Amino acid sequence: MWYHICDTKKTKVKYVKRLLIIIGKIIVKLLRLMKRNAGNLPGIVLWHLSGHKAVSMFKVECPIIAVTGTNGKTSVTSCIAKLFEDSGKKIIINKEGNNLDTGICSLLLRHCDMKGRVKADYLILETDESYVPVVYSQLKLDTLVVLNFFRDQLDRNGAMETLIQKVNGFCKTFDGNLILNGDDPNTARLGRANPKNKNVKYFHAKPYAYATETAFEASEGRFCPFCGEELKYEYYQYSHIGKFRCAKCGFGDYEPYITAENIDLSKPVFTADGNEYSPVINSIYNVYNMTAVAAAAKLYNINQKVTDKVISEYAVNNGRMEKFMLGDCDTTLNLAKNPVGANVTLRVMNEMGGEKELLFVLNDNPADGVDVSWIWDINFSAFENVTRVVTSGARAYDIAVRIKTAGYPAEKIIVCPDLEKSVETLAETSGKKFVIANYTAVQPTREALNRYIEKKGGKA
Amino acid sequence: MKTLKILHMYSELLDLYGDNGNMEIIEYRCRMRGITCEIDGYTVGSDIPDFSSYDLVYIGGGADLELNTISADLLRCRDGLKKAYDEGVFLFLVCGGYQLMGKYYRDAGGKEITGLGLFNYYTSAAENRKKQCIGDIVVRTEITGKPVDVVGFESHGGQTMGVKAPFGKVLCGNGNVFQGGAEGYSEKNVIATYLHGPCLAKAPEISDYIISYCVNRGAEAPAELAPLDDTFEHECRKVMLNKLLNKK
Repeated sequence: MWYHICDTKKTKVKYVKRLLIIIGKIIVKLLRLMKRNAGNLPGIVLWHLSGHKAVSMFKVECPIIAVTGTNGKTSVTSCIAKLFEDSGKKIIINKEGNNLDTGICSLLLRHCDMKGRVKADYLILETDESYVPVVYSQLKLDTLVVLNFFRDQLDRNGAMETLIQKVNGFCKTFDGNLILNGDDPNTARLGRANPKNKNVKYFHAKPYAYATETAFEASEGRFCPFCGEELKYEYYQYSHIGKFRCAKCGFGDYEPYITAENIDLSKPVFTADGNEYSPVINSIYNVYNMTAVAAAAKLYNINQKVTDKVISEYAVNNGRMEKFMLGDCDTTLNLAKNPVGANVTLRVMNEMGGEKELLFVLNDNPADGVDVSWIWDINFSAFENVTRVVTSGARAYDIAVRIKTAGYPAEKIIVCPDLEKSVETLAETSGKKFVIANYTAVQPTREALNRYIEKKGGKA
Repeated sequence: MKTLKILHMYSELLDLYGDNGNMEIIEYRCRMRGITCEIDGYTVGSDIPDFSSYDLVYIGGGADLELNTISADLLRCRDGLKKAYDEGVFLFLVCGGYQLMGKYYRDAGGKEITGLGLFNYYTSAAENRKKQCIGDIVVRTEITGKPVDVVGFESHGGQTMGVKAPFGKVLCGNGNVFQGGAEGYSEKNVIATYLHGPCLAKAPEISDYIISYCVNRGAEAPAELAPLDDTFEHECRKVMLNKLLNKK
């Protein structure tokens, strides 16, 4: 508001910017004194005061790397940050997943001096898809990594196409590095947004053991975005990710910048650019994420030893393929906030030999997108050796109906809306366990698993 | 027992908020009773099928982009669909499918998509974005002869007017128009609704109404459907009705 009132004389603008920085810093300090999280609120205040340009008052003099896409942003952002950190660089990263303009503003407020200058070697920012144009019209971006576009929380973002259009609009005038998932037509199409950009780099993966000739799950983007022809796939890895090509206009013909091959998830192991990696997490999904990380490492000439270590050691304790011992039962917890995440998790579960039981925890809080219809896009008919299913969360019955309708015997489904009780029920029998929880369910589920382990034994 | 023949139109384009799930539910409830279900697909450019040879025609919902993609193609099907409807084929239409069976759909830019005009209602996008109807919705319908509460999720800018026989009364949510009292359109062989979710997930009575209508078409003595264990479905609806109707 003040920003609007003052005239455009440079000096005045400068002082207004400084004033905003001071106000912001005071809010951060106050929140700290009150022991409150300063992750978003300071940014919201500055967003209002600055006429909705929350990050325009900062001067960032180092390269910025942004990571966006529906799934895998947090993992890839933290791995890229680790690449630089382990190379001895000073980095700033939005660790708490505050990935909107206001969250990024709050982050920069904590790291800038009184003149708004942000000093670091690299800024690595997880950025919400719809905020890419907002944030990077105000801050100069060096590299944009785009992982994938899937249906996610449709009611918040509008249709997925609108989202792709937003990022595409930004890419039209962007001439920095663009690292794209070449196996996702929704992402690869961004490579054509600015024909003058010579810095477009695609990552790609050769088929893994469970790649299929036909689509396994309900998939998006089946048609060529340029000419409308149905895309032909040599293979599908999961969902609509795979080697595609448009026979009519040649969309999909590109020289990969980096290719993951020799993928063996039973070990798990894969190679990229001749380097062998042994990641902790054994999903095809992780192979794609780590290939994006390897592409960034290649682009910024990271020492290969550092890259090896980052990719091979990456594991998270945040409910993403997290391992527990529930009593003496091997238990894997994975977050699934959309059908693609859930389908990949079911695949990992199927690919694991022997009998197992599943706990599915489904909530419908605002951050989950309220409506839970996405569970109908999950392919439950592919269950292999699942001997029992327990469902929990605010929408425990919805997921039970879904699984039953897919053909799984109703008598093997136990509904326990109470989370504590659902974990106890899961642990009643021996054998391997798999737990799927959606966005707001994942932390409470971790805690419930840990509480059970504390009480009844096992290992977190 | 006879085979249920279903034509599912544009399933790969019109599948918002689990709409394809409705056919999975119908198929499941048939399978559990030993009724064979044949589901054929139809998409843009397919050969025009004999609509009258089906018992049920189903069309789901889509965003403006998808509706634009299929609208011209759907018009090609007008005569066949009209004939089938006149002959008593059941039409189950969700959101976009519902809108396009009316006279027209006028989008936010004022552009008009011609509907098939099977019914007299018409739809215009809300001029005010605040009038977007998005959220959980509960509709009480009496199509089965008894009141049934159907819980779903609505997400539409289109305001549908001129509806003579709504599918039901809105107990929570918007319905045909922003903050409206009526939802959808229905006849004995038509259910047209804005409800996604999919809307049959927690409404086994409606699924069975459709199945029963289809298997008994032309039969002199309508056969009763074998009862199924719908505990999960009933509990599921109860949870949502408690949440949505008791908060006021």
